[in-house]
Amino acid sequence: MKTIIRKELLDHLRSVQFAVLLAATLVLFAVNGFVFVQQYSHLNSDYRLHVTEVEQHPSTTGTFLYRSPSPLLFMAEGGEKNGPTGYDLRPKQALAAMPAGPRNFKMPEIPDLDWAFIIKIVFSLYVILLGFEAVSGEKERGTLRLMLSNPVGRLRLLTGKYLAIILSAAIALLVGLIISLIIVAVFFPAVLSLPNLTRVAFLFVLALAYLSLFAFLSLFFSALITRSSLVLLVLLAFWIFFAFFIPDTSGIIAQEFSKVPSEYEMAKLVGPTIQKEVWDRINKLQDRIKKGELKTEKDIREEADLAYEEGQDRVRKLYADYDNAVQQRADLAQIISRVSPVALFQYSAEDIGGTGPAADARFLQDVRDFSRIYDDYILKRMGKVVGTSPWNFAISVPLNGKPIFLQSPYPQEYQGDKSDFPRFSETKATLLDGLMSGLWDIAGLLLWNIILAGLAFSAFIRADVR
Amino acid sequence: MLKTIIKREILEYLKSAKFLIGLGITLALAAGSTVINVQDYKGRLQDYQSAMQEMKSDSFYIHLYRPPQVLSTLIQGKDRTLGNSITITYMGIPPRTSGYMGEGRSQHQRLVSGFAAFDFAFVVRVVLSLMVVFIAYNAVSEEKFSGTLKMILSNRVPRDQLLLGKLLGGWFVILGSLAVAALMSLILVLSHSFIAFGPGEWARLLIFIGLSALYLTVFYGLSLFVSVLVDRPAAALMILLQAWVFLIVIYPNLGVIAAENLFKLPSQEQLEQQKAAALQPYEAEYKKVMEAFVQGVRKGEVSKELGLRSEEFAALRADVTHKVDEEYDRKLTAQTKLARAISSLSPAALFDQAAVQYGRTGMAQYESFMREVYRCWQQDVERSKLIYTDREAFKRAPALAFRVPVESTADAFAATWLDWLLLAFLALAFFALAYTAFLKKDVR
Repeated sequence: MKTIIRKELLDHLRSVQFAVLLAATLVLFAVNGFVFVQQYSHLNSDYRLHVTEVEQHPSTTGTFLYRSPSPLLFMAEGGEKNGPTGYDLRPKQALAAMPAGPRNFKMPEIPDLDWAFIIKIVFSLYVILLGFEAVSGEKERGTLRLMLSNPVGRLRLLTGKYLAIILSAAIALLVGLIISLIIVAVFFPAVLSLPNLTRVAFLFVLALAYLSLFAFLSLFFSALITRSSLVLLVLLAFWIFFAFFIPDTSGIIAQEFSKVPSEYEMAKLVGPTIQKEVWDRINKLQDRIKKGELKTEKDIREEADLAYEEGQDRVRKLYADYDNAVQQRADLAQIISRVSPVALFQYSAEDIGGTGPAADARFLQDVRDFSRIYDDYILKRMGKVVGTSPWNFAISVPLNGKPIFLQSPYPQEYQGDKSDFPRFSETKATLLDGLMSGLWDIAGLLLWNIILAGLAFSAFIRADVR
Repeated sequence: MLKTIIKREILEYLKSAKFLIGLGITLALAAGSTVINVQDYKGRLQDYQSAMQEMKSDSFYIHLYRPPQVLSTLIQGKDRTLGNSITITYMGIPPRTSGYMGEGRSQHQRLVSGFAAFDFAFVVRVVLSLMVVFIAYNAVSEEKFSGTLKMILSNRVPRDQLLLGKLLGGWFVILGSLAVAALMSLILVLSHSFIAFGPGEWARLLIFIGLSALYLTVFYGLSLFVSVLVDRPAAALMILLQAWVFLIVIYPNLGVIAAENLFKLPSQEQLEQQKAAALQPYEAEYKKVMEAFVQGVRKGEVSKELGLRSEEFAALRADVTHKVDEEYDRKLTAQTKLARAISSLSPAALFDQAAVQYGRTGMAQYESFMREVYRCWQQDVERSKLIYTDREAFKRAPALAFRVPVESTADAFAATWLDWLLLAFLALAFFALAYTAFLKKDVR
């Protein structure tokens, strides 16, 4: 067994593809390190600037909640670049996501060069290149017969070949990870804390589990199909299908299947809803004054405020429902893309790195929790919570011949001491949280491994080796 | 003689399993992506048409909509990721389009971000180019490997004729596959009643298919060259696949990363500061006018001059802000151009940027839309003056003209000639290399 592994491993390490893999690894992981260092220092300084600004200017009319950049962005960026950098919080739990910093929308869309990308695209391809000839190549050269005439079981032979592929990939990967980590450590030594290194270790194991399924896939087709070039062609077809076709089309497919109204339909709803819920209520006031139902100026003002606030709540709810629906559609897209093991790896890598949609959701939950604390604070200080409105009105209604000027209410700044202004803090997912939320994805990867291993071994055992 | 060689080559290919499998995969992926993209286009088209009908502009808010491009069904480009609507007033022009729900509210980015386009152009760029590699990697090396090269050349066949024959045979097979895939996607697109191509679209489509052919020819040339150079077919395939991954997956991405790091963009804060600085000279005067205006409104009497003055000021502020946004926009373009320039060693990047030009799904079409938005805003400013000078005329004023100029096919060609030239150069260079290498080759 050892001999087989050693022979195979040496073969791989001497091969062209391994040399190129190593070169590609060096370049990609070095670029990854440098890009991350740039990105992180930028994000971090922005974050600190913003947070101090907020701390210096506590306000009861609205505040900003910023998200600290993840120090593990280099592992799995997880869409953080597109996600909100924080939320603009106004009284009455009104949240607006703040867009990520200026991004060049004219640039071609490129995936982030994080570890997850390098592993899921480049390494999976090289595992295929290392493995496709394993059986078919030996058969073509006639060495398979010779080898099996020795007292070596087929099971053992294939296991040896499999382990050699995984080991070669692991060597290259380890070299890459170390390069990337060294670059990061030179600029941000603090990033390499024990918890973070544990995450790195877990990602490494996850990566091997992911690459292993491609190794089994290669061995399977290599044992099934006689001609090596055909094996490679079929494997590359699978690779394109898993790595590009499924993830890239899942968004559009989710759109077809989900019952979410299109953005246009939603936009069309908003106008009439505002008219019905906000302006009609305000207009009704005038009728009621004419009829004499509202007699004093105080009554009128109170009714106006109430009508306006209630109406706005309805519109806010409409928006919130839509946001939820969009979120559900995004979740559906993720579920569809899970057909592909490449997506399974991506999501579990994000979970281990503490980035991605799960981290977004966690941050949003923290923000929502804080928004209640914020409202309580305002209530305590100001006596009432007034929401900010994107729509303003200013009308003058006649009461007993005298005009009364009505205006949309807006939150007021508390003028007293704000030293007890609540502080926002975010909870970061621990590795255990990540593993728990990524449990099904990891299980999915293992399932792929088991199925493909079964296929590979049964195909090899039945293979005609002549 | 040549004919015989070509015929033999074509027949060899058509019989081969690698060709059948490759073609099958190509057709399946092209069909799948086209069907999905057509459905997506249908939804976007319906939204656009309903928006034009039902969410019309009023006298203050001018809603302008960007129609989805019909060729996005084949060349998606940025058509889905750029928003379809923009709302201007004489007081402001947003820097870019957003979804129908407007700036700040729109979620259109959320679903599409992170997903690249999978369309016919992708099938050509990635899948067909891979098939080309598979078809050509052993064109020469296999014959040498199996010893038939010697035998063929012992006949009265000049080497150049043999190579030319092989070259043309493989080339016809590749072009045939491209034609079949294109035809199938086209049938899938055109079988829908809501899709209609004008003569412009047909011309663009044909040129795009020509571009695809040239792009595939580059890979074909490269594959032949490597096949002549490297004797072991397996080694040739390996080298070609590495080159393929590098040229298609890795290099264009590195180009973008390099451009982002070499050409820094101003931050959001800097942009705000620039805007504030640009507005500064008018600020005092503006405040005065606005105070007088608000006083006037409260009293219920706004003089003609004051009204006009406030309108002009609002428009001036919008224009000044817009100028800063435009400056920023130019920087974005410059950064993108740098990325393109760095990536232009990769045929895939060249193909990509030319393809979106023909699909009208690139930035060129978007930028002409935005220029028209600005022209529309200028009209709106003029029209809004009537509110204070001639209210009746304002009410009777016709709707603002908004016509995005359609780029002619000739202009699209003019914008992409360099891409064509570079692709043609690469193709010729590889063929020349393959040719000379073959003539010098030891055939034993």
